[in-house]
Amino acid sequence: MKNFKHYIYIVAGLVWLSACKPEINTPKPSHGSADFSRYIAIGNSLTAGYADGGLYRAGQQNSYPSIIAQQMQQVGGGTFSQPLFTTDQANGSGYLTLTGFNPDGTPITTPVTTNLAVRGILPVPGFGNVTLYTKYTGDINNYGVPGIKLQQITYAPYGNLNGFYERLLPNDAPTNNTAYIDFVTAKPFTFFSNWLGNNDALSYATSGGAGDVLTDKSQFAQLYAYLIARMTANGAKGVVATVPDVTSIPYFNTITTTAILAGVQKANPQVQAIYINALVSGTTYAPRAATAKDLIILTFPTSKIGQPVQTPYGALPYGLTPYTPIDNQYVLDANEVALTEDYVDSYNATIKAVAASKGLAVFDAHTFLQNLKEHGLVEQGVQLSSAYISGGIFSLDGIHLTPRGYAIVANGFIGAINAKYGASIPMADVSNYNGVKFP
Amino acid sequence: MLIIAPVLSYAQGFQVNLEGEKQIGMGHTGTGLAQDGAAVFFNPGAVAMLPQNYVQGGISPLMFQSVFNPAGTTEQFHTANKIAPPFTFYGVWGPKDGIWKLGLGVYTPFGGLTDWGTTWPGKYSSELLDLKAFYFQPTLSVKVTDFMSIGAGFVYNYGTVDLTRAIPLANGSGQPGQAELKGNGHGYGWNAGVYFKTESGVTVGITHRSQVTTTINGGDAMFTVPASLQAQFPQPNQFTASIPLPATNSVGFGFHPNSKWTYVLDMNFVSWHVYKTLSFDYKINTPFLQDTNEPRDYVDAFTFRIGTQYQACQKWAVRAGAGFATAAAPDNYVTPEVPDAARYFLTVGLGYKLASRLDLDASFEFEHLNARTQTNAYTQLSGTYSSHVYIPGISLSYHW
Repeated sequence: MKNFKHYIYIVAGLVWLSACKPEINTPKPSHGSADFSRYIAIGNSLTAGYADGGLYRAGQQNSYPSIIAQQMQQVGGGTFSQPLFTTDQANGSGYLTLTGFNPDGTPITTPVTTNLAVRGILPVPGFGNVTLYTKYTGDINNYGVPGIKLQQITYAPYGNLNGFYERLLPNDAPTNNTAYIDFVTAKPFTFFSNWLGNNDALSYATSGGAGDVLTDKSQFAQLYAYLIARMTANGAKGVVATVPDVTSIPYFNTITTTAILAGVQKANPQVQAIYINALVSGTTYAPRAATAKDLIILTFPTSKIGQPVQTPYGALPYGLTPYTPIDNQYVLDANEVALTEDYVDSYNATIKAVAASKGLAVFDAHTFLQNLKEHGLVEQGVQLSSAYISGGIFSLDGIHLTPRGYAIVANGFIGAINAKYGASIPMADVSNYNGVKFP
Repeated sequence: MLIIAPVLSYAQGFQVNLEGEKQIGMGHTGTGLAQDGAAVFFNPGAVAMLPQNYVQGGISPLMFQSVFNPAGTTEQFHTANKIAPPFTFYGVWGPKDGIWKLGLGVYTPFGGLTDWGTTWPGKYSSELLDLKAFYFQPTLSVKVTDFMSIGAGFVYNYGTVDLTRAIPLANGSGQPGQAELKGNGHGYGWNAGVYFKTESGVTVGITHRSQVTTTINGGDAMFTVPASLQAQFPQPNQFTASIPLPATNSVGFGFHPNSKWTYVLDMNFVSWHVYKTLSFDYKINTPFLQDTNEPRDYVDAFTFRIGTQYQACQKWAVRAGAGFATAAAPDNYVTPEVPDAARYFLTVGLGYKLASRLDLDASFEFEHLNARTQTNAYTQLSGTYSSHVYIPGISLSYHW
């Protein structure tokens, strides 16, 4: 067949065309003036990859330092080791999963209690019980320790009081005597990220101002300067992050006093107010009617409202009279909010000043979460907000982030690093990371 | 609340402009020529001036290849290699030496096929768009005088659309949900033109193709989401959407210096400004599934085309053409299913007389859309697009 040859040409032509795809020339990524060959991350639960009320393997794998390190590998970053739980003990400390919704639309969460890495409970006199986890003995780049405050980084016995730190140390509690700052600086590094300081305010806030205290402002300033001096002692460059406003997280914005009152009024229209035990000044607390400025914590068992409580005046309904206010531990009242915000502002002024003095990059997490709360965020066609579950950023505990939230934070750090050091670390693809998982 | 906002659109990229192989070979010009049955599309006014009757059909397999480079990365994401098949059919008949002719055109002036896949960074904006618009156009043309003819056609449009995108609601294994909107609809319009033979020998055509608003009623809205949220995405559900396919005004000139050479020049003005918003109205709404109203704010676009034909001998004709078009999508409104941009195109064509009444025409067009770095105002999808289009084509015409 004479035309056969022509068909061959046509087919070959079509193959050639489909191989000839358009391309976009992009500049080669650069590390700028920084050296990422050994990057370490220090910080608390956010740095460790804590999510859904627990530290577990999948969360660790989506930690923002891990995402940053993956991107750094395109500009000379080295291997990045994390103290992962093993696959057999992948559920680590245990965590919450979303298992459904009540008819009123409120979520049902269920704890995961299998395949944990819990190795024992150590009672520490005068402190309480410390949950101990299976030790991790390998190399570490991510030193994130859930629960740690800046205030605790020089406290040598801390390794006996925090199971998440204890599992990284060679000795068993209660024989540890290595301060966090000494532990993380023991091995040389060229670049670091530091997001310490959250718990110095957050631990006070999440306990409704009842279970912890705010770290003193001048102690914070002194320790922060000491920390950064130690981290930069050998010439390492780095990036630090500010402390978010605690009221920008869904832990304080999901259950509202207005919603509780509306719920009560449905059954009992004559109820005028709910009552809380609120800070007056110093350490003086007194009951008063709640306003929208008083924040109720996410874990408040709303079923307590209206339950009879014995008082000198007889049995009165919980939360509905000045004699039976909602307990302090469930409420971050308006004065406590103002107090916390004042401390956080001071902490952030310290962080920015110290970072500037050492020429470090700053990721302003405070501004980022404030903008998220006020305006929401659209990223690659996904609408995000600081709303609980539907917002896509915060995990089921209402404090820590989802993989998507951590990826956005990682890009925030990368942007700050690139700007400061003239680098061009490629951004992570946020669309690859999920929000809350639905059953 | 999460609002699911499917995106459907088209642009100059989806004004297909492949309505006859002879004309494609000459830069897709023909408003000012009475060349063959494709005049039904190019200028109904010229149909009465056609020397013969025509039955012809053609196909132009179109390969649209786009690449996306997300802002701040070195990654490149390509559309899948898929071939959209625009086709044409024309019939023209009139009494020998009569002053009128009847015509029928079936063609595909709008359409698009962009398949970015389900794993690319813009998946929450668009994974797949498959849009087809078929126009059926009966036409009457009358020779008013020896040097002027007019014509008009009625347009019935049948359109189909299939679009998918990911929904940012992860299931237990972290996989996102999927939305698919699939439906068909129709619309009406018209097409008219006037054609002059001037004393200098230059031929001139002026045409108007009206806006055709295609309305999709009762299309299927299918959502795959985690089971605990399925009630928020009721199934079955339906959607209504209305898409204005814009009007086009054209003016064209044909120059015939001798029997071997023809030169052609066309200009098109496309009224894309009618495409202001893209709205989807769902039959059943829930707090999670709201009707959507996305701004598009397209602007009118302009196309300039030139072409030439050299009749080498009785059997062979060689053609070439080129042109450029401005973008219809303004900055900040470029979407991945239509990575619209200013573009240029080059065409070549070959005509061969198989028999005295049978023509075989082949054409090839290459189109390059300029690289365009964009952040979409609605989705914040940010990056650089670049696109190539390759369009071989072939047609067969019988005339008597």
